[in-house]
Amino acid sequence: MSTAALIGLLVAVGLVTFLYRYAMIGLFASRNLPGWLHALCRHIAPASFAALTASALFVHGGEVAIDLATPKPWAALVAALVAWRTRSVLATIGTGMAALYLLKFLL
Amino acid sequence: MSATRSTRRAEFLAGCRDEAPLQLGVVPFGMLYGIGALAAGMPAWLAQLASALVFAGAAQLVIVQMLTAAAGVLPIGLTASLLNLRHVLYSASVADHVRHLPRRWRLLLAYLLTDEAYAVAILRYQTSTADDGATATTAGMPDLRHWYFLGCGFTLWATWQLSTAAGLLFGATIPAEWDIDFAVPLTFIALLTLLLRERAGQAAALVAALGALAFATLPYKLGLVAAILLGLLAGVWAARFARDGK
Repeated sequence: MSTAALIGLLVAVGLVTFLYRYAMIGLFASRNLPGWLHALCRHIAPASFAALTASALFVHGGEVAIDLATPKPWAALVAALVAWRTRSVLATIGTGMAALYLLKFLL
Repeated sequence: MSATRSTRRAEFLAGCRDEAPLQLGVVPFGMLYGIGALAAGMPAWLAQLASALVFAGAAQLVIVQMLTAAAGVLPIGLTASLLNLRHVLYSASVADHVRHLPRRWRLLLAYLLTDEAYAVAILRYQTSTADDGATATTAGMPDLRHWYFLGCGFTLWATWQLSTAAGLLFGATIPAEWDIDFAVPLTFIALLTLLLRERAGQAAALVAALGALAFATLPYKLGLVAAILLGLLAGVWAARFARDGK
């Protein structure tokens, strides 16, 4: 992506995000948001993170490549177990990266 | 008048103080964003500017991850905009407390309305009335809690900018073969685990993950947007099923 396109993207996302934040404070008088919006917002983060993680692990160059002989899926599995047991973001990143380095060394 | 001024100051500082402990969790994200942005090929100045323009940690990490995956402008914009939609809920939640303020205040507080600032500021609004501020004991004092809100927002903003800068400085010294960009999906795994307490959320995540693979061949990574939308439908549907199907 060109730098100009990236600037445009960031300005647009920044503007949209600001409008979300300003929407009910300054733009619209009604503060009763529909129930479906609450329901939807609960699922946006898990759906986004799951899709991006799956894509980062198993999609390469627009093709699905589930290659279990590479270190990343296993490092991710170790990280998921640590995340589940510790509920700590830092411990998850730390052990995930350590597992990646170890597996790259071994495989 | 000077009593009001010292109360403003006290409210602002109380907001900074109460927001401070949360910075422990914010700093690693800011640094990770800075490091990841460089690894994704973003110019450092633009990565720093994005922290001021977008000022939303999760969305910035998602943008970085999608840039790494060579996604197009439209899919990245759609995904980041969808992810930030929750800020409308925060906006609605604080609206009654800030509605009386002049527009410049509302613009400023809206800009600073992030997850972490919202969490601290709304607690202040909900556990106090207008004239029992941290130091305001005189009855009939004007509501100055927006200064507290400003303290929260300012503290988070400063931390976010500084930790982004620290990540950019640090990231510039990390060789590419260290695969440091892998820390971003690891972060998503950690956050996912924290978020997946209910069945509906699990359904949303599972369907979105499968969708990301099923639609992988769509151009510009539009498949990610389709996968997330499908995941949302699955989540809403699962929540309804859990409620009705007992």
